[in-house]
Amino acid sequence: MKLGRPIVLLLILAASTAKGDAPDVWAITNGTVHSVSGPEIRGGIVVVRDGLIEAVGAKIPIPPDATVIDVAGAHVYPGLIDAYTSLGFAGDEVDRAGVTSGARATSPAGSSEPTAAFLAAERIAIKDDDADARRNIGVTTIVAAPAAGIFAGQSVVLNLGTGPAAANVVRSPAAMNAGFRTRPTWTFPDSLMGVVAHFRQTFLDAQHHAAARAAYERNSAQPRPAINADLDALQPVLRREMPMVFEAQSAEMIRRAQAIAREFNLRLIIAGGRQAWRMPQELRDVPVLVSVNWPKTPSDREDREEQPIRVIRDRVLGPTTPSVLAKNGVPFALVTAGASASDFIPGIRKAIENGLSADDALRAITLAPARIFGVDRQLGSLERGKIANVIVTDKPIFDKGAKVTRIFVDGRQSRPRPVEETKESSAVDGTWNLTVLSPQGNVAVTVTLRLESGHVSGTFSGDRGSGEITGGFYSHPTLQFTIAAQMDAETHDWVFRGTVSDDTIAGTVSTNLGSFQFTGGKSE
Amino acid sequence: MKNKNILLRVACAIALALALAANGVQAQERVTAITNAKVLTVTNGVIERGTVVIRGSKIAAVGADVAVPAGANVIDGAGKFVFPGIIDSHSHSAIEGSVNEISLPNTGMVRVADAMTADDISPYRQLAGGTTTALLLHGSANAIGGQSQIAKWKVGRPISEWIVADAPRTIKFALGENPKSANFRPPAGVERQYPATRMGVEEVIRKSFIDAHDYLARWDEYEARRKRGEQVIPPRRDLLMETMADILRRRIDVHSHAYRADEMLMLMDVARETGFKVTAFQHVLEGYKVAREMAVERIAGGTFIDWWGYKAEAYDAIPYNVALMVRNGVLTSVNSDSDELARHLNHDAAKAMKYGGLTEEEAMRLCTINPAKQLKLDHRIGSIEAGKDADLVIWTGHPLSSYSRVETTFIEGEIYFDRARDLEMRKQLAKEKAELLAKEQKRRTE
Repeated sequence: MKLGRPIVLLLILAASTAKGDAPDVWAITNGTVHSVSGPEIRGGIVVVRDGLIEAVGAKIPIPPDATVIDVAGAHVYPGLIDAYTSLGFAGDEVDRAGVTSGARATSPAGSSEPTAAFLAAERIAIKDDDADARRNIGVTTIVAAPAAGIFAGQSVVLNLGTGPAAANVVRSPAAMNAGFRTRPTWTFPDSLMGVVAHFRQTFLDAQHHAAARAAYERNSAQPRPAINADLDALQPVLRREMPMVFEAQSAEMIRRAQAIAREFNLRLIIAGGRQAWRMPQELRDVPVLVSVNWPKTPSDREDREEQPIRVIRDRVLGPTTPSVLAKNGVPFALVTAGASASDFIPGIRKAIENGLSADDALRAITLAPARIFGVDRQLGSLERGKIANVIVTDKPIFDKGAKVTRIFVDGRQSRPRPVEETKESSAVDGTWNLTVLSPQGNVAVTVTLRLESGHVSGTFSGDRGSGEITGGFYSHPTLQFTIAAQMDAETHDWVFRGTVSDDTIAGTVSTNLGSFQFTGGKSE
Repeated sequence: MKNKNILLRVACAIALALALAANGVQAQERVTAITNAKVLTVTNGVIERGTVVIRGSKIAAVGADVAVPAGANVIDGAGKFVFPGIIDSHSHSAIEGSVNEISLPNTGMVRVADAMTADDISPYRQLAGGTTTALLLHGSANAIGGQSQIAKWKVGRPISEWIVADAPRTIKFALGENPKSANFRPPAGVERQYPATRMGVEEVIRKSFIDAHDYLARWDEYEARRKRGEQVIPPRRDLLMETMADILRRRIDVHSHAYRADEMLMLMDVARETGFKVTAFQHVLEGYKVAREMAVERIAGGTFIDWWGYKAEAYDAIPYNVALMVRNGVLTSVNSDSDELARHLNHDAAKAMKYGGLTEEEAMRLCTINPAKQLKLDHRIGSIEAGKDADLVIWTGHPLSSYSRVETTFIEGEIYFDRARDLEMRKQLAKEKAELLAKEQKRRTE
């Protein structure tokens, strides 16, 4: 007897572990069910079988073979979708993943930049802790692509389940991703206008590529056109079968993306959208993946008040973007875009404080992104036949202190697990005091930076005036950004490019007066 | 009872006027008359006490005995001067990111229009200095830079409306020190860019046009074969080569940055040899040495009045350059190349009266009708004439005096700067800022 008990307990533990892993039959009962697609059901039941949702309702039979989980007092939601992230493509990953394409129009020779042919589904590698950090807040699906390169490759809709990435792919390729990212000085394109020209030439090349292949098929008695994986990858984009995600934060950048989409008749999705609140009428048919990584408020009161009004507007009115888009009928999703998982729900809460309804907020992280990426038959709501991505929270999900208590991905249950999340942003985020070593003497510039999906934004102040930085990006360990340096009434772009290492940075700054060294460090 | 009706009517009239002002479509019919002002027409002399009538976006009438149309909004210009909007033939304002795509010796495929931004404060400051139109050029870091854009400073309107849609297409060329990579240290790991010398700059330009002729020939051959019914692969559209071809076909005007006389002669030679035309030399510090050659070739010159000595190739610059070019028949303008100078190009025009003794009218032309001709937009802007765009500036005194300042700036009949309005706007902005900060503070303390 004395020996028997522990053995029995062990057997039970083993059995429950096995059950936790296997997609099986579950009945989640007595919770408040937020199906998203229908009205809230108090004391509702969600039945899960073999990885799919079998039934959702108030008074439905519980299958005899189901394991019943009584979640009385808790809330049941579809798993959340983070529809714009570069999770799984750390700086090194991107470098390794470089495609050696012969097409100069898509990536410079010898560069490690991703290109149009880059398939996120084949390269994604998510660390266990990163996956747990997202599941812990209820995110069970991500839409991921690298945050580097002008063409960042084709994104993947991926469930955050266990097992190999290939088994978790819901849709690949999901969309073509791109950003207005300049290359280093003296490598085309090293200016914004060059990047736009590069997009235009690349799409023209893709059109020509298809026309050349077609002409060759009709008449093979002529020089054979070369194959090109990148230009092939753009064909579904030109046929409007695959949407084109442009990362664009400012109103002008969003308009640039729209201009390219109009010129080549592309299905446009905007990612970022920091100034979308300024232009909802212009976005009627354009889905926006709104980053909840809102502009940070300087902690110092004087800094807060001395910033130009355009910076203050963006800071204070930025979080009204989701409510403004909702009121204007613009389809949108709320996304982390490189923010840490722990900032996701607080960021959404800030949007709610700024006028977004909780229902619209929930939709923006479930059904709305599922529709934007064409996976709403599988994901985004608790409905019969959809993938059984289900989460249970102890309080309504946007309430302060609400915790995710149970997570089902593809019908497999897991529990929240405390993790140390890796934060790429911490390498860049913060206030940096920089010293430019110019022949006329040292020039002090202070920048406050924030990394978001490879894109770096922020403000600058110091000896050369103040304002917002532009053209910022971070690709480990290289940080680049541009300030509009003011001398008297003149303004010139100063492009900083340096290497970040443990809260220090060193590099060169290209100015109207030549290139100079700069160094700096993060202030506490 | 009667009084009440009148009040009601006045209220309705005000509401209607406001509605009209708010509605761009209705604004077509809006009529404004500036009366009793000294009108500096530039092309038709000075009207001491004249009236300028603006109807919609155009100047409807100008003269001493022009009747004010019924219902016109009348601005009493007594004691004021009316001058055309100043035109800056060399600007880099309102361009986001670098004004130079410096990665290649020829970047003719890039377009300034793709990177314009309405978020630059400089155009508004320029409006306060009477400047309404500018040629936004690519930088001078390569022999053949990007395509430039002619724009009007319609601050508050979207960029698509700043672009002068029917303006000629233009491109920036650059000679001399700037396109020589020998002057720049390449970033770590990047090879020095060709060309490093003046000889190389010339070669880049010559080679680009030789390539463009080849490109056109390839397309001609393709079209010929296609017309014969052959199933033939079309040539690749190359945006750089298309640009060069469009220069050869006179669809794009060349505005070339140039300092030294010998280089200007070089470009004229290369242009003759390869079949393109130079529309204007920009900066043209040694223009006085080749003024006759420029006049013969009908090449315009946009220059600084008194900037010199700031680098070796600027040692031979003289303030009499403008007057000598004008007297030798060169179409001459003063340009800014600077957000700061662009706010007071009237001063640079005035200095040409001191250095070289140009007449008042010749001086006024330097920043109005001459740059308009240089940009080939003189049928629309550059002078106060009936039928032209209502790009007008009301000054407190003569615009060639440094004591004068701008009261009101119109572009196509709309007010884009008004001193009184500006002072009012500052209060509004201060109020908005205080409210935003209060909202933020409230959230922080919650």
